[in-house]
Amino acid sequence: MSIATEYFAFHRQLQEHGVVFSFAGYLSEGILFSLGEALKQKMSLEEADSRVIKRVFSVFVEQVQNIIRYSADRVEGDLGRPVELSSGMVVVGREQGRFFVVCGNMVRRDEATELQRRLERLASMDKDSLKSYYRERLRAPVEDDSRGGNIGLIEIARRSTDPIEFGFVEVAGDRSFFCLKAYI
Amino acid sequence: METLETLYRAPTERSPLLEFDFTNRRLRIEGESYPEDAAAFYGPVIQALETFLAAAVAAPDATVRFELRMSYFNSSSAKALMNIFQRLEAAAATGVGVHIRWHYHVEDDTMQEFGEDFSEDFAHAVFELCEFDDD
Repeated sequence: MSIATEYFAFHRQLQEHGVVFSFAGYLSEGILFSLGEALKQKMSLEEADSRVIKRVFSVFVEQVQNIIRYSADRVEGDLGRPVELSSGMVVVGREQGRFFVVCGNMVRRDEATELQRRLERLASMDKDSLKSYYRERLRAPVEDDSRGGNIGLIEIARRSTDPIEFGFVEVAGDRSFFCLKAYI
Repeated sequence: METLETLYRAPTERSPLLEFDFTNRRLRIEGESYPEDAAAFYGPVIQALETFLAAAVAAPDATVRFELRMSYFNSSSAKALMNIFQRLEAAAATGVGVHIRWHYHVEDDTMQEFGEDFSEDFAHAVFELCEFDDD
């Protein structure tokens, strides 16, 4: 199989899934910013509703920042300034007239249980419950182990027009692959 | 009372314009907020605000006016805004006049909803929702 055939098949598969863009690999805040700009521009050119653009962008930012902060597959170092790269994937696409934002990254298996419990709770909440839960978490002091207060997941669930979908796959070692999909 | 220097941060692509003119008791934040490190951006701001409010409580002469005109902020920034509001409300509870105006675009239902959410946290400070149009 030629490389063109191989990559065209890959490309077509993405298109069949309605993918507007996808990124897999090491993510940084710089990449978050650039992808976010491209996302806003693409949606504006398609004349999507400004409220939808904002919601998609908001979910995108929280999803990518969750990967940057919580991916178990990360490298940190100092290259004159602190550098933090976290591995994961983010996919933005359209499916039956709705946008979706998926993130995927490795988590430690012992963290997966707690994460799953929190996501199940969020997925079962209606708009009003999510709103009051967000308010409650916003007032709470920041937990020691969480940078940003964990309200990112609630924000994602709030902006999603349908209940969030998520899943885990156990992989080698002490790792699980985690993914989360939100529709807007 | 000792005067504090104005705290000014020019807007960037991902952090808001911030101007805390402590001498005239006028504070404002405008734009988008999803800085790389929200704690690094807002930490010094909250510290300066605390110093200012401690002095303001001792001499509650003029009203503190705070204008916010946000178009987007991420969850870490929401946490920081909440911290700022909690400090202002605490100062207001001791008798300092605090008037906050939350400006949002007429079509921006997210910022309107955030404004309504935040407004429920104030019993002593005045929190006003101000809708604006394009012009």
